[in-house]
Amino acid sequence: MAPRTQKKLFTRKKVCRFCVDKDLTIDYKDVKTLRNFVSERGKIIPRRIVGTCATHQRQLCEAIKRARQIALLPYSGNTQG
Amino acid sequence: MRRYETIYILRPGLGENEITTIIENTNQLIKDVDGSIISFQKWGMKKLAYLIKKESQGFYVYCDYTATPEVVAEMERKFRIDDAVLKYLTVKLADSITAEQIVAAADEAEAKLAAKALEDEESDSDDSDDEEE
Repeated sequence: MAPRTQKKLFTRKKVCRFCVDKDLTIDYKDVKTLRNFVSERGKIIPRRIVGTCATHQRQLCEAIKRARQIALLPYSGNTQG
Repeated sequence: MRRYETIYILRPGLGENEITTIIENTNQLIKDVDGSIISFQKWGMKKLAYLIKKESQGFYVYCDYTATPEVVAEMERKFRIDDAVLKYLTVKLADSITAEQIVAAADEAEAKLAAKALEDEESDSDDSDDEEE
């Protein structure tokens, strides 16, 4: 039982950034914001790690995929920065 | 009329005239069906996230407009034929739009652009202040 209580100590409640800050909008043209939600390799970071809510994660996913289509974000890797 | 936005990437090696003719031809398609251009921006030369047709840079053009589906189909057909266009992306923003909404959207786009320009300027001046101190 001891490790379980210890684990609880270290977990922090994650909140959705888009729900907290209403001014923050999801737009596939806004690469600066989207960069926060992809890994260094260009992969979309899962919800369980970034803590966005389901609605916003869905919108975010679509935005990132659109940005990739028009070469604003890489499909994989950071070969071109 | 539907509201769309299109981003297209032109080859980096093009001259000023070639870029203008492509843009004019594209905008003419919209005007032919009495569509209106809400916002038009040249984002200019940008680095691509990955190579497209062996090019690592591209000239981005952004256009927010109202048109019919046929216009979009024709525009994309031309983009596919034209060797100067590396890639394009069209997104439908609204199924229908009224005249008042067009004006409102145009104003909004202009305000956003102005706010962004101001922000850039402010951040520039902030930097210079720091240097003086």
